[in-house]
Amino acid sequence: MTSKLKFLVATSTVTAVLMNAGSAHAAGTLVGTDVQNNVTVDFQVGGVNQTAATASNTFDVDRKVIFSVAEAATTGTTSVSPGQQDAVTTFVVTNTTNDTLDFNLTGAQLSGGTAEHGGTDVFDVANLQVFVDANNNGTYEAGTDIATTIDNLAPDASVRVFVIGDIPLTQTNGQVAGVTLTATARNSDGTAITAATDLTANTAGIETIFADSGRDGIETDGDDFTVAAANLSVVKYSRVVSDGVSVTNPKAIPGAVVEYCIAVSNGAGAATATNVNISDNLTTVSGVTFQGSFTPATDGTVVNAGTSTCTPGAGTGSYNAGTDTVSGTLTNIAAGQTRTLVFRVTID
Amino acid sequence: MIKILSALIAFCLAAPAFSAPLELASEVFVERVQKRADGSTATVLEAPKLVVPGDQLVFVVRYKNASAQPASKLSVTNPIPRAVAFSGTADGTEIVSVDGGKNWGTLAQLKVPKADGAFRQALPSDVTHVKWNLNQTLAAGSAGKLVFRGVVR
Repeated sequence: MTSKLKFLVATSTVTAVLMNAGSAHAAGTLVGTDVQNNVTVDFQVGGVNQTAATASNTFDVDRKVIFSVAEAATTGTTSVSPGQQDAVTTFVVTNTTNDTLDFNLTGAQLSGGTAEHGGTDVFDVANLQVFVDANNNGTYEAGTDIATTIDNLAPDASVRVFVIGDIPLTQTNGQVAGVTLTATARNSDGTAITAATDLTANTAGIETIFADSGRDGIETDGDDFTVAAANLSVVKYSRVVSDGVSVTNPKAIPGAVVEYCIAVSNGAGAATATNVNISDNLTTVSGVTFQGSFTPATDGTVVNAGTSTCTPGAGTGSYNAGTDTVSGTLTNIAAGQTRTLVFRVTID
Repeated sequence: MIKILSALIAFCLAAPAFSAPLELASEVFVERVQKRADGSTATVLEAPKLVVPGDQLVFVVRYKNASAQPASKLSVTNPIPRAVAFSGTADGTEIVSVDGGKNWGTLAQLKVPKADGAFRQALPSDVTHVKWNLNQTLAAGSAGKLVFRGVVR
């Protein structure tokens, strides 16, 4: 009777297993899952159907620690400006282990050598910090993203991690700082993982093996910051527009009108310069008086540097009679571009 | 209760072969590639103590006719554990099911419904059951084995 009951129980177990068929994780079968294999043989003796014979075999699935650290899309160097606070580069830690894990995170800087995107590391960022993206929105939010370790990352789940630093004000265009993020797998309670190695004898219990690259439970990826500074140069041109006497080739005689052109150029490959303010204090230029009939013009171009000829632009600057200062704000100056502030004075 | 018991005993007595069954054993091994000292590799079968997703498994079904009479029409059915993706048998004489044992055939004969209602050719990983219908008679005392392979999902 016992055998008969056993057989019945075995049959219903098989049915239940079938109901659950399908649905597989990329991380694989979860750790601790019993894999039970049942086999049944139907047969006849003397032409009479006999009670089926059954057998089964069960093993547990062990833990396979495998995960990745990668720069978050879109990949490429992170463009920063000198003096920038909290420059952010983002990584993604993906857990493809068949178990929930914690991860310890460490940010580090290169000291020389080739950075992730090919540049040469020449400086370190200040105040390097690592934070987990708490709400997984891909944007670093100080005060919100404060965790420095990853807690309970489920199988097949991933989380963004920010590596943050301040860019020294002294850095110049094109300089590169390489950083790395290292994640170390931990048990989901935060304790260190003791993994079996190829030399460890198997046990019937649940074991852990490291299957990540290097089989050490540690993964690293790099990224870099590249300084995109504006590279501004300023030239001040002057030319005599008229002297009230000469028909051509006016001379710089008293009463003559002189046009000043302050040309600001941004170097090739530099970052676009914004909010470029120019002011020229005429009290430092003896013997000239601002000509009020000509409104200072911004955003013009240099027509001929040889003859100091500029075309006044469409924007307008201003003159402060109290401080005897001409000033103007130029529109954004892209790499390789020149913009001007043009105004006129008369010679006393 | 006593009535039922006696009924069962009667049933057992009426089926003479029940007390002399077919012996059946199911074993599973993990296939590993080991590096020898000289750099060459050897494939070994280990007991399934350390098993992780992606491991290759070898299932061995051993059967033996322990009775004094020949057994015939042996039909060996093995549902594939859901955590295992079937990858084939050693002999290729099996039939399989991809729908939980409702329909049977060679893998090439079976189709699997897709989400859009159309059908695609069944793949080894779709297999839910494997079955061998052994057409020869198994003499008293003789034994045999069947082997299939799978991968831990």
